[in-house]
Order: sequence, then C-alpha cells, then structure tokens
Amino acid sequence: MIEPSWIAGLGAFLFCIGLVGVFTRKNAIIVLMCIEIMLNAVNLNFVAGAAHYENIDGWVYTSIAIAIAAAEVAVGLAIFLALYSQRGTISLDEVTLLKH
Amino acid sequence: MEEQNKSDWNLILPILILVSFLFVILRMNPDSIGFDIRFSSFLIVAVPLAVFPAILIIGQICKGKDLWKHQLKEGGIVALTALAITLALTIWLIVEFFAHHAHFGEPEEIFDWITFDLLVEGNALSESALSFGIWIDSVSLTVLFVATFLCFLICWFAIGYMTTDPINEDRNHRFFAEFLLFSMGMFGMVLADSFLWLFIFWEIMGLCSYLLIGFYWEKPSAAAAAKKAFLTTRVGDVFLMVGLFMLYDLYHSLEFAVIFGDPTLGGAVHGADLQWPLFFMFIGCVGKSAQFPLHVWLPDAMEGPTPVSALIHAATMVNAGLYLVARMFPLFSEHHFEGDLSDLAMLIAWVGGITACMAAFIAFVANDIKRVLAYSTMSQLAYIFTGLGAACWFANNGHHHLATIAFGAALFHLFNHAMAKGMLFMASGSVIHEMHHAHDHVHLYDDDDHHDFDPQDMRNMGGLASKLPVTSIAMMLGSMSIIGIPLIGGFWSKEGIIGQAWNVYLHGGEMILFPALLVLATAGMTGFYMSRMWFMTFAGKAKTEAAQHVHEDTPWIKTPLVTLSFVTAFGGILLAMYGFQHFLGENPDSAHLSSHGLLYTLEHAFLPAETTLKLVGWTAILLSAGLGPFIAARMHGGRLDDGEVATPMVSWLVDLSGRAGHTDVGELAEGGFAQALHNRLYIDDFYEYLIAKTIIPLAKISAWIDKNWVDGVIKGIESRSQSTSAWLRQFTTGRASDYLLMATVGMLAIIGILWGVV
Repeated sequence: MIEPSWIAGLGAFLFCIGLVGVFTRKNAIIVLMCIEIMLNAVNLNFVAGAAHYENIDGWVYTSIAIAIAAAEVAVGLAIFLALYSQRGTISLDEVTLLKH
Repeated sequence: MEEQNKSDWNLILPILILVSFLFVILRMNPDSIGFDIRFSSFLIVAVPLAVFPAILIIGQICKGKDLWKHQLKEGGIVALTALAITLALTIWLIVEFFAHHAHFGEPEEIFDWITFDLLVEGNALSESALSFGIWIDSVSLTVLFVATFLCFLICWFAIGYMTTDPINEDRNHRFFAEFLLFSMGMFGMVLADSFLWLFIFWEIMGLCSYLLIGFYWEKPSAAAAAKKAFLTTRVGDVFLMVGLFMLYDLYHSLEFAVIFGDPTLGGAVHGADLQWPLFFMFIGCVGKSAQFPLHVWLPDAMEGPTPVSALIHAATMVNAGLYLVARMFPLFSEHHFEGDLSDLAMLIAWVGGITACMAAFIAFVANDIKRVLAYSTMSQLAYIFTGLGAACWFANNGHHHLATIAFGAALFHLFNHAMAKGMLFMASGSVIHEMHHAHDHVHLYDDDDHHDFDPQDMRNMGGLASKLPVTSIAMMLGSMSIIGIPLIGGFWSKEGIIGQAWNVYLHGGEMILFPALLVLATAGMTGFYMSRMWFMTFAGKAKTEAAQHVHEDTPWIKTPLVTLSFVTAFGGILLAMYGFQHFLGENPDSAHLSSHGLLYTLEHAFLPAETTLKLVGWTAILLSAGLGPFIAARMHGGRLDDGEVATPMVSWLVDLSGRAGHTDVGELAEGGFAQALHNRLYIDDFYEYLIAKTIIPLAKISAWIDKNWVDGVIKGIESRSQSTSAWLRQFTTGRASDYLLMATVGMLAIIGILWGVV
C-alpha cells in the first residue's frame, strides 16, 4: 500500500503543472488540457482518500467529476470552434473582451 | 379706429360687470359667506400671487394661439381681471374702514410662518414665532389704494402699449406675469404687519423691478440698467437688513404691534438705542426711493417698457421707501424718545432737499422725455422725504399737532405725485408709441437705418398738441399737478411740505434752513423743467417729418389717461377740502373725513396765519406757476405750424407760449455747468471710478484665490484620482489567464494570512 501522503503530493504536483500551464500557454486547447490535468489531480486525491478511509464517497465524487469534465470539454471545444469561426484564431492573447 | 375702440370695450365690459357684481354681493351680505376684513385683505395679496404663475405657464404653452394672443392679449386680460378684483376689494376695505369710523383694532394675524425657540436670559427658552398678518390704518389704506388703482389703470394701458408692438410678440405673457408678481409685492408690503414681511415683499418688488427693466434683455443697455438698478438698491437693502437685525435685537420682535404698542418696551429701550437701527433702515429707503447718493439707478431704469416706468419707477415701488419712513413715524412721536431722534429727522430732510434740487437741475438739460420724468420723480419723492423729515422733527420735539400736518402733507403729496406721475409716464408712453409708429410709417420704404431715430428724444418732437389731443391735455394736467399750479393736484400737498419745512425753522430747527431753501427754489425749477418738457413736445413747429405724421389711434391708451386726468384735476382739491391730510396724520385715532368747505380750504392754503409762511407760500406760487413756466415758454414755446389747431383745452397755453417771445440761451446751454448737468454732475462717473479702483481689484484678487486655491484643491483631487486610476488600469488586460493568476495569488495570500505565515 502506498502512503496516502505520496499520492497527495503527486496530486499537488499535477495541480501545479496544470496551473502553470493555464497561466503561461496561449493556445486555448492546451489551456483546456491543463484544466483537465488540474481536475484529475483533484480526482486522484479523492480516490486516494477513499481507499485510505475505506469510504465510498470519494469514488462517487470522482465518477461525477469525470462525467462533468467530459461535458465541460464538449462545451469548451464547442466554444473554441465558435470562436475560431468568428475570429479565425483561438489564441487567448487575442480574446480580451473582458477588458471592455 | 372706431372699431378698435369698440373691441377694447367689448373686452372690458364683462370684467367690469363681473367685478362690480362681486362687489355688490359682498356689500350686501358680508357676513353670510364668512367674508371679513382679514380674508379680503389676504385675497388682495393672494389673487395676484395665484394668477401670475398661471399666466406664465399658459403663455408658454399657448404661445401664438389666436384665442390667447388676440382675445386674451397674451394674458393681459387675465392680469387686468386679477387687478380689478384687488381694486374692488380695496375699495370695499376703504368703505368698511369709514363705516366703522375707526381703525380695525389689533392687527389680524393670519398664520405662523416659522415657529422657533428663542434663548432668552437665564438660559430659558421662550417660544417665538414669525407670523404673517395684516395691518390696516389710514396710511396703509391710502398707499394700498394708490397701488391697486394705478396697477389696474397701468395694466390697462400696458395692454394697448405692449400688444401693439411687434417687438414684444409672444413674450408679453412674461411681462404681464412679472407685472402681477410686482403688484403682489407692493400690496403685500403695504399690508404686512411686521418689518420682516415688509422686507420680504420689498425684495420681491426689487426682483420684479430688475426683471422688468431688463425686459428687452437683448439690448445691452437694458441689461446693464437692470443690473445697475438691482445692485444699487441692494446696497441700500443690506443696510436695511442690518437695521432690522438691530431692531430685532432691541425688541425681540419685528411686529408693528409689539414695537408700536410699547416703543420703550417697559423702559428697556432708549431713544439713543434706536438712532442707529433707524438710520440704517433709512439708507434702505434712500436706495429704494432713488435719493441722493443712491439715486443713480432710476434714470437708467427708463430702459424698461414705458408701463413699467409708469408703475414701478414712478407711481408705486419708489414709494416703498417713503412708506417705510412713514412706518417709523410712531417711534419719532413717542414722548420718551423726545429729542433723541431729531438729528435723524434732520438728515431725512437734508437728503430730501439735496436730491430735490440736484434732480431738478439735471432735468433742465435732459432731452429724453422719460428721463425728464425720471428726474422729476426723484425730485418729487425728495419733497416727500423733506416733508417726512419735518414731520419727524416736529414729532420728536413735542409739536404733535404740527407733526400730523406735515405728515399728512407728505403722504398727500405721495398720493398726488403717484397719480400725476403715473399719468405723465403713460402720456409719454403714448407720445413715444405714436412717434415710433409715425416714423415707421414715414420711412417705410427707406433703406436708411431706422435705429438712428430716437422716438423718445424731445428734439425730434414739437407741435404735437394738434395731433395728440387727449395726450396733450393729460400731460398738461399732470405737469400742472407736479409743478403745483394753484388748485390742481400737487399744489395742495406741495405748499404744505414747503410751508412745514419753513415752520420747522420757525420752531427752532435751524438746521433745516438749507433744505427748506432748496425745496423752495426747486418749486421754481420744477415749473421750468416740466413746462420745458411740455413746450418742447407739444408746442412750436414739428421738428421732424415723423412728428408731422403722428396720430393718436392706439386703443386702450386713452381710457387710463382720461381717468387719471380727472383724478389729477379734481382729486387734490376734493381731498384737501375733506381734510385728507388730517385723516392721514391723525392715524389711527380718527377715520373720518369731513368737509371744511371750499372757502376755508382756500383761505388755509393761500393765507396762512403766520407772515413767514404766507411769504414762503406766495414765493413758491410765483416761482413755480409764474417764473419757471415763463422762462420755459420763452426758450421752447411757440405757435403750431400753419393750419394745425390744438384742442381748445390746450390751445390757450400754446398761444401764450407763442406770445412770450423768444430767448436764446445758446451760450449758457454750452457752458461748463450745463456740461456737468449733461453728465449728471459726474456722480455716475465718480461711482464708476470708485468701483474701478476698489471693487474691481478686490474682485480680481478673489478671482485669483478662487482659481488657484479653491479650484486648486478640487482640481488636485481630480488629477490625482485620474493618475491613480491610470496606474490601476494597466492590470486590466482582459486576458482570462491573468485574472486567474490574480485570483490564485489572492487565494494564496488569504491562506497565508489564515495560517499566520504572513
């Protein structure tokens, strides 16, 4: 049995990789992938916690989170498609509508 | 012409019938509808107050509509109706006043305006209130009658004068609304039962005066004249306010009932305490009544439309100062103050004497017909001030009988002067109006610049006696009344004023000798400048082409002139016969008039018991009725053009002036003194110089402080917040990832704070 703290550490590491990716990358698809990495880092913690405490709640949460993540990716990609058809780019530097 | 006059009566008759109907109902059954003195006096103020905004608003909405413009004369008929109601109510009040043969007892309080607690000695609070009430006695009733009567007639005149001039089209509703607001101010001031409300209505009149002088605001000279009038009277009003503060400090009230009820306040107030408050209040009167040295605004105020000059700047508002002095009179006659206030009384007489003479001198050379009348107004008001000064001096030195005579003479002159001068201004308005029309008619097809022609300049007139019969008769009677030709209008009161001024001298007031001499000399000067005006306008040959083509055919103008001609010609002698002066003077103990018979009155006027007074009276008559008009006739008189025939009532005067011969005074007219008179004795220039040297540098300094300090603070705050926001704006990139970074950093910071790391 692996120590839960190791798994939690791996989760935190994966989360940081995702976070840095979101901050630095310009391509919207890469950013979406980074968000998925962060989501899975959290899922990892849930699964590890469930195993450690022998409680089914963590698994339930994880399965819901995976389902939601799938839906989110579908919506996100649809948004990017619409964005590309409107602006011809999906570079996040070009999309600064929040400024206005 | 016939048709126009008919339409004029068609409109007026329903109003007159309505008002007289109302009047009859009230007379028949005053009690059944709860209609008492208090309510009717209140209505006199309330009706114009309620109607003036209606005219203003409806006029703005219905501008140019046929019914409003032609049937209602842009609100003129509405205003006239309101004024007819006030006139009817005033007459009803007067009838009631005489029916009860006494004053109406305690002043009628109508409502409390402001209630407040006053900190009195010993840290106790006493409840106090500023209330609005009505005060009626013989003085206020007389002035109220003058005001309502003239407001009504001049409004009538104004309908003819204003609505037939295309320049006024579509803005006459403003004129009539302001006219009504002014009337409200005048009625309110006369009826107010405290100095506070008197002051409030006084200021309303000042505002309306400003608005109406500047009625032709697009003319720079009118706008400047309006400002000049407003600011000059403001100087006086500040002093008046200070005087009222001091009076309140003494009595803890400004109500007439409190102050006149016990002027000593149980021995707490001494005569010496009153000197300064009354002095400051007198400065306010000087400003309002255009006396030296605050007289400079009145001649310029003639920039306003002629009905305004007639009403505000001749017949009513300028009397406000006199009315306030008359209101102070009971304080002078309080026997505890005996001798303490005689210096102030002297000052009043001196201001009057100096102004009378100065204004008459300037009127010698004025060529603008309205300016002659303006200076004449100043001069005649100064007479009344002299009379009031004499009355106050008598009252303050224990000669109560003489005081009432002088007081009555002064207020009688107020009445006579208001009637005559209101009429003279309307007559001058008629002349100007017809000159203007004639000029437009003659030069209809010229390419010349029409504005070169001044229809007010008497040098352009001459020989109008045959063309303007009604106007020439009215102007002759008005001038006679102002001059003091025996038996007509102002003669009765002017003789009284001059006589009483000399009487003060006989009773030990040596200081009055100077003003008494001045008013005596001014009687002759009045005779000269008023005759000069009449002769220049109506006698001699027509001096311009326009003057040959004048016709008297504007509707609405004649009726007020005829009415006032009768009042001027017969009012003076009738009132003098019935002892009007005593009625005014013996306020408020008696309220009845009784005829002494014509012979008694004549003997009283022409042959007073004292030799000095007899001498003074006859000198005045000779100067004013003889010498002054004679010189004027020699200088400016002359027969009319061949073929022109004046009406019989004035033709004798024209013929007399033609027989008087001719004197050329060319050298004198170009001398240094005449130049000084043309420049109004340099008083206006002196004030301008004074303002340029004192007020304008001060204004520049305060403008600099305002710009750099006051505005600096505001601008500093503004520019700092701009630079701060510019710095903050660079964080707003619009990129989602940047916001996410900020959110992360913020959350980490919160976690750090919660764990106590930071």
